[in-house]
Amino acid sequence: MSLKASPTLSSRSGGCTLTGALSVTTHVRDAVSIIHGPRGCAHHNFSLLHATGLDNDLAVIPDLVSSALGESDIVFGGEDALFRTIHAVCERDVSAVFVLSTCIVDTIGDDVEAVCAREYGVPVIPVSTAGFLGGTFHDGVNKALISLAGIAPPIEHDRSVNIIGEMNLEYEVEENFAEVLRLLTLLGIPAGIRFVHNLRFDEIGMLGGAQLNILRDPSLVPVGEFLKARFGTPYISSFPHGLSGTLTFLKSVADACRVDGSRAMGIEQALQGEILADFADLGRSRAVFFGPVTDPVSFLAAQEAADALHIRVGSDPGACPLPVHPAVGTAGVKRMLHCWRRTLHA
Amino acid sequence: MPECDNPLWPCAMTGAAACLAGCTGVSVVIHGSSGCYYYPSTLLHVPIHGTFILENEVIFGSEERLLEVIGSLSGTGNRIAVITTCVPAILGEDVKAMLSGYDVLLVDSPGFLGDVESGYARALELLKPQVDPAAEGVNIDGACLLDPFSRGNVQEILRLLRLASVPCRTVMCDDTLENILRPARYTVGTNADFSSGVGETLGGTLGFEQTRATFSRVADIFPAADAGPVFSEIGRQEERLVRACDKYLQRFDPPSVAIFAGASYADFAAGTLKQYLDAEIRCIGLRNHGTLSRTAEYAGSLGEVKAMIGSAVPDLVIGSSFERSVSRNRAFSGIIPPLRGTVRLAPRPLAGINGTLAFMEDVLNACMDQKTRNR
Repeated sequence: MSLKASPTLSSRSGGCTLTGALSVTTHVRDAVSIIHGPRGCAHHNFSLLHATGLDNDLAVIPDLVSSALGESDIVFGGEDALFRTIHAVCERDVSAVFVLSTCIVDTIGDDVEAVCAREYGVPVIPVSTAGFLGGTFHDGVNKALISLAGIAPPIEHDRSVNIIGEMNLEYEVEENFAEVLRLLTLLGIPAGIRFVHNLRFDEIGMLGGAQLNILRDPSLVPVGEFLKARFGTPYISSFPHGLSGTLTFLKSVADACRVDGSRAMGIEQALQGEILADFADLGRSRAVFFGPVTDPVSFLAAQEAADALHIRVGSDPGACPLPVHPAVGTAGVKRMLHCWRRTLHA
Repeated sequence: MPECDNPLWPCAMTGAAACLAGCTGVSVVIHGSSGCYYYPSTLLHVPIHGTFILENEVIFGSEERLLEVIGSLSGTGNRIAVITTCVPAILGEDVKAMLSGYDVLLVDSPGFLGDVESGYARALELLKPQVDPAAEGVNIDGACLLDPFSRGNVQEILRLLRLASVPCRTVMCDDTLENILRPARYTVGTNADFSSGVGETLGGTLGFEQTRATFSRVADIFPAADAGPVFSEIGRQEERLVRACDKYLQRFDPPSVAIFAGASYADFAAGTLKQYLDAEIRCIGLRNHGTLSRTAEYAGSLGEVKAMIGSAVPDLVIGSSFERSVSRNRAFSGIIPPLRGTVRLAPRPLAGINGTLAFMEDVLNACMDQKTRNR
């Protein structure tokens, strides 16, 4: 009888834990992320982060250092190589060092936490990527966020609202943030820190000051719960999706922050009406939805926009394939409608 | 081995995948975790497969999962190639024995063994191409899916071979498995960093001089070949290039240059820039451990690249988008991967006649843009 649990497909295809964690730690701009493993793992991730950074117009190069394990380190253990690497990095002008392990290091059993616990003169924070091969990209993101949140002390709350767990590798990361910021501004609520996006290490200390945390998506609920337990900060579990979702989001934020959201919702509803009027030419089309995303929330947002424009969605032959994008807020729906117009008029 | 900041070159596993994924009729399986799969998958732009092993397979054994994936690929008519990554390589499992019931190529190429070229060579060793004495034509060598100029190189050399009335037998390694296993006796090169060593080489095709010499040998070997049209095109295009470079030199000083690439492309870039623009080659940083005819040093990390550029203070930087990121507003031309942050749709060559023209065109435009920007 096999003792193996049957692994789920989602955990197999959920991406690399290390990449997820690095998408967070490399956004602490005055810190260095050490990848304890062979050079290849660091190169793969550096290349990916560099590419997505360029896509997002970021001129900042992620500061990654590999402990560059070779065959003999794999055989005899890599802890000495890690110590040397941490020591060398701490001699630079850095505010903190994050240490992330790789599959091979966890397999050979290096005690990464023990090496990080030695005195180096700057904070050396191990980010647990344990569960290495079984973890997913999202696990890596969550573990990194929780490790970093553990550094921040409890402080007095103010009026600000933090943005938690932005998808730093997503192409529209800045546009999505701008949309949430626009909605907060409509409500007259100041934005707090973007945890973690383009942040200094000392800014993490402000994490506990917000009156509300807005999570990028529901996969971050464990992070939201951690922050709630540590700082007493409530959270909203996702950025807004779709037209009605945006109005609901405004109401939820207003309620959580105890402000009157009715004026903001009225303005937003009027804006949505103007946008739909601008795209009235798409009406009466026949369409079928396809990717690039396949999550139900995005499909619901797309269906709602199609219904409002009287686009008939089905699978009948001859229907025009319309792309479904993760439409964050009203602005996201508008960008998706531009793509639909290009497709329908092509 | 000392620590390395921002390593710039992929690992041996990626090299093996780049070689085998170029063989049409081969299904490549990366035996490892999801992270090891996604990188070559996104870099090579061809479908590959993965076992996506999880922690419990590391503890209890990966045989069941490996056979599950291989089983799902059986019946496609493709030969299956399995590449082991770091973790399976040290688990002590007898992967060869696991696969004994299947006709599978097994490449042991974990990332910690070295860089991309070593993995590429390991995969080729396994394929063991054998020259077919009866096969007509020449092979084109040095095509590697990792190289953004590979497809353009192949198209250009195919064009020149057609001009010379010489058929192409095999493109190493971007061809059917059948052709790759039975190449012809003679080979012309493109990127020597990914040389297969197959057949008797008639020379490379980087630069006009090399292309001319190689096609001269092709004409000597093949009685039906006519290299005349190739020579005459080289003459015409070289004249155009010289005119464009002279025009540049009438207005501007020759550029000082820092070059970062594999040995083969670095040598080509340095030679071409020196010959046509009288450029001052201030430094050459190599991604690999190849040899070339000029002074060069290994530069495998972004820190080393930054230091070399900082010390050379060049007008022009040749390299990848990594180099561009640390070149501030210097003129830049990309010749090695990754080339991110720009849209690249058409296959561009570096080899052959059009390769030299495309390279110099890019350099001249970059240098002139930079002069204009700095006014």
